[in-house]
Amino acid sequence: MEKKLEVKNLVISFRTSNGKVQAVRNISFDLAKGETLAIVGESGSGKSVTSKAVLGILAGNSIMEGGEIIYDGRDLLKISEDEFHKIRGDKIAMIFQDPMSSLDPIVKIGKQLTEAMILKNKARRKECRSNFNSYLKLLEENMIAAVAKGNSAKAAELTKKCKDFDKFEYKHIELEAKYNDAREAAVEAVSELENLVFELGKKVDKDLKRRIQEVSEFAKKSCHTYLVNKDAARLTALSNEIVKCAAQEKVSKDYKKTIAAMNEMLPILKAALALEEPNFFALGYYETFANAAVPEKAIPELNAFMHQYLDDNFMLAFIEDAKQALVYSAENSYQQKEQAIHFLTNKRDVFARAQLDKKECAEAYKACVKKVADTIDRMEIKKDSLLYTFDSGLKSALEKYFGGISKNEKEKKRYTRQKAKYDALVAKGKEPDWKVVPASYTDIELAKQNILAQLDRVIAHCKKLLESKGQRDFGVETVAVIDYLKENASGVVEKVTKRLAKERAIKLMEEVGIPEPRTRYNQYPFEFSGGMRQRIVIAIALAANPDILICDEPTTALDVTIQAQILELINRLKRERNISVIFITHDLGVVANMADRVAVMYAGKIVEYGTAEDIFYEAAHPYTWALLSSMPDLDTEEKLDAIPGTPPNMIYPPQGDAFAARNKYALKIDFEKQPPMFAISDTHHAATWLLHPDAPKVEPPKIVTARIDRMKNRRRAEDGKEE
Amino acid sequence: MEKKNDEVLLKIEHLCQYFKMGNSELKAVDDVSFDIKKGEVFGLVGESGCGKTTTGRSIIKLYNITSGNIYFKGVRIGAGIRSYQDAIAKKKEEYKAKKAAGISAEEDAKQKKELDAFIAEQRAAIKAAKYDQKNCDKEYAQQCVAQVKAEYEQKLAKAGQAEKEKLQNEYKNELRKAKNTKLVTQIQMIFQDPVASLDPRLTVREIISEGLIIQGERDKEVIDKKVYEMLELVGLVREHASRYPHEFSGGQRQRIGVARSIIMNPEMIIADEPVSALDVSVQAQVINLLNELRDKFGLTILFVAHDLSVVKYFSDRIGVMYFGKLVEMAPSDELFKNPLHPYTKSLLSAIPLPDPVYEKQRVRIVYNPLAEHDYSVDKPSLREIKPGHFIQCNHAEYEKYQKELK
Repeated sequence: MEKKLEVKNLVISFRTSNGKVQAVRNISFDLAKGETLAIVGESGSGKSVTSKAVLGILAGNSIMEGGEIIYDGRDLLKISEDEFHKIRGDKIAMIFQDPMSSLDPIVKIGKQLTEAMILKNKARRKECRSNFNSYLKLLEENMIAAVAKGNSAKAAELTKKCKDFDKFEYKHIELEAKYNDAREAAVEAVSELENLVFELGKKVDKDLKRRIQEVSEFAKKSCHTYLVNKDAARLTALSNEIVKCAAQEKVSKDYKKTIAAMNEMLPILKAALALEEPNFFALGYYETFANAAVPEKAIPELNAFMHQYLDDNFMLAFIEDAKQALVYSAENSYQQKEQAIHFLTNKRDVFARAQLDKKECAEAYKACVKKVADTIDRMEIKKDSLLYTFDSGLKSALEKYFGGISKNEKEKKRYTRQKAKYDALVAKGKEPDWKVVPASYTDIELAKQNILAQLDRVIAHCKKLLESKGQRDFGVETVAVIDYLKENASGVVEKVTKRLAKERAIKLMEEVGIPEPRTRYNQYPFEFSGGMRQRIVIAIALAANPDILICDEPTTALDVTIQAQILELINRLKRERNISVIFITHDLGVVANMADRVAVMYAGKIVEYGTAEDIFYEAAHPYTWALLSSMPDLDTEEKLDAIPGTPPNMIYPPQGDAFAARNKYALKIDFEKQPPMFAISDTHHAATWLLHPDAPKVEPPKIVTARIDRMKNRRRAEDGKEE
Repeated sequence: MEKKNDEVLLKIEHLCQYFKMGNSELKAVDDVSFDIKKGEVFGLVGESGCGKTTTGRSIIKLYNITSGNIYFKGVRIGAGIRSYQDAIAKKKEEYKAKKAAGISAEEDAKQKKELDAFIAEQRAAIKAAKYDQKNCDKEYAQQCVAQVKAEYEQKLAKAGQAEKEKLQNEYKNELRKAKNTKLVTQIQMIFQDPVASLDPRLTVREIISEGLIIQGERDKEVIDKKVYEMLELVGLVREHASRYPHEFSGGQRQRIGVARSIIMNPEMIIADEPVSALDVSVQAQVINLLNELRDKFGLTILFVAHDLSVVKYFSDRIGVMYFGKLVEMAPSDELFKNPLHPYTKSLLSAIPLPDPVYEKQRVRIVYNPLAEHDYSVDKPSLREIKPGHFIQCNHAEYEKYQKELK
């Protein structure tokens, strides 16, 4: 599966007046496309801090001590604030825990909803335009280099082709935008008509005048050459009729005529919606260059005709050229890669010495980075994240090594000084009220290995790419290139006006379940209840259509029905838009509903990590047991197992396992040494000494095992019924 | 733990609470009736905005109720007058309609007399309601005063010269306390948000002892002793008394809220979503604490919450509210076994459980009152379908539900 986000060895601390709080201590996880990862833990376990780090909105006193957050081939910890602007909210959106503090109290809801839409649209159009132009230019350059080979007449021809492509691509988008508007209106009209027929049948006519007006407008809008064409006149007449009838029948409350007219409208619209969608791409070409009227044919035949026309006149040749350009660019990059492998293997010696020389390393670093940057194939649409992140990765590894050397010296000095002072006091017979903080040295050997690992990884990666060279299908890739261009072109034409933004906002508000969105649109946040506010926040987050959605306890303050609705909403959007979700919560019921995978966090560390089934049926860490046993479910009768005490103070994190002090099952070693991650299965990991082969066998608490048994029994009973 | 007791502690009759919203009225609570027995935990569930919190607040007289009666230990502590006013208006309308239809003078005089008698009757009821609403506490205080007087006069008469002075002081003190006693203080409330419900500028000692001081207690030692006792009872330590609320974690703050309410020695506690804003582990701590206190003092609790698994775990009986109306009420096991009202079914189908396989299959039932009920002819009312199991329905539905039960 494609990995969307990777977090590696992340360490975050906060500077406070009392000392350094270690909020996140070396956590790693990844997130695949279309997957939900749930992070579970008590408050103060560092789950919100992690998510805020992904979004780059940590408080000013935070210190990023190390690690990487890789999104789209870039390390989010290292990019500039300007670049972050493009990602934050647009690609990665967040739903906050407290809806009140994430809404502006003095700005109307409507403005807050549409603001981002309009701004982001502006930025996206700009970006799409530059993407489209730069990529087309790149394509043109490579085409000329690959096909023309110095022939200037051929080169001019290719330039013209690219310009033509540009021209009719825009026409296509225009046509499609109009069609989409009409189609959307038709869909709206059908759903609203069905509602109205049902409600008028029950004699409910709240807000009828406006709604009828709206439906009639929607119906009229859905008249389009490729949608409601033949029956357009009839549909328009009917839409006018329902407005008139509804007004007449308002007194008698007997809406027979209106309903009859509506029932006539429904089949027309439904039939139109069942029609095939025309091939606008080809149609755009025809309308721009054919100099003839569009022939009147049924849509499937028209599509075939247009497709043929486009292929014959333009597309096949263009694709052939584009393919050659791709092959040319790829060949170039492969050559570069071969060179880079040699170069890096030679330079590896510089980093492999017993003592690294700072100056020499800096030079080698510069040369290596340049060489690797050259190997990147700019024509590739799916970016090679490893090559792009090589620079930052190597840099941080080097910094860690050289920083570590000086830090170790300082640490040693400090330790000897303190120790001497302490010993002197003890020798005098006093009992000092402070302790000598043990020296924490950076592992120089490990840091060095890390540098080499960075190089080796890139070398291995390049070798692998070279090996799989023959397997690439440039035909498919060319089609992808054309699609990429199409997509960007559509981004440029898609203009969001204020009115359109309002329409969309109202639709979004309806989608997240806010009744009477039209009146709500002009209200202030204080006029909403908690649940409604949270829905607004979700609507705002979704307005930008993000790639990754971070939900920080979005339903904690809501009641069950609303919670279920919001979770369903998030699940549905995740399915429809294929977004990845990071879901932060402490409610395990919600986790079971949402998560594909679960990470349990405690005191800044991930203590257990696995699929939802692993965590709920085969939990291995005592903390997970404690969480599971402290929540009642519908069959719980016995006393709940509350976790005693509070989480440790993270200014002085305990030396051993952080959970040991509150853990009934703690072993002696738990207080002395931190447990490593033990793998239980391929997907399931847990950090507890109980999994060590020498550890005593411990059963999970009764309340947990009983519940698992109950769940299994119920499933067996259900399976039995089905069979 | 299961003490079966039939003594009704709180009785609510046709409670209505309307709020003015410009020209229209918002019916936050509309004709809700239930009673809570002594030592019982009554859970009130429903979605946000359905009026469950408003019901709790109306009971404790944070609002003046619009209509209906609230009886606590048999004494009417709250009464609204709207229903009487409506009855008068309706009767007047009827009379006018009849007069317009044309009746004989003799008949008219009779009708008029009847109307006047009716109005007088209703007005008397209104007066009584207003009096009770205002003076229930005063009367209770007078009772207390009389009791104290009787007790001490006896003692004083018996006591010797030396003791007399000491007793006199004590008498004075007790009398002041009795004068300030209120019946309503026997109902205490725990609020949802432990951060917002504690004054950030008061120490924990001041927060917890505030009620005692208002009641007239002036002896510092007594207050301190009681505060420490309460702190230890809820799982905090004495040293916490001199700290400020911001120094505590969420669970500890909620414990302070609990301590503040039980220091008044209440018979009943209204817990308004006491665990909604807390972490799971802390949630368990607070629920366990409330359970312990309930066993220890035999408290009666009105538990308002939206987390159904917690309500199920904690309550003996559950009432389900929807848009200001009580739609179903039953013992908790019965409600979860045989949910009848479509809204209850929809509510139960929305509970998430810690079981991923089950969760992936769970289908939520959507409740749409328009599609479910046809109340155009037959208006619904709360009917008892099985001993202890009430449901809001009309006659046709009543029969349907009864079939479903069998």
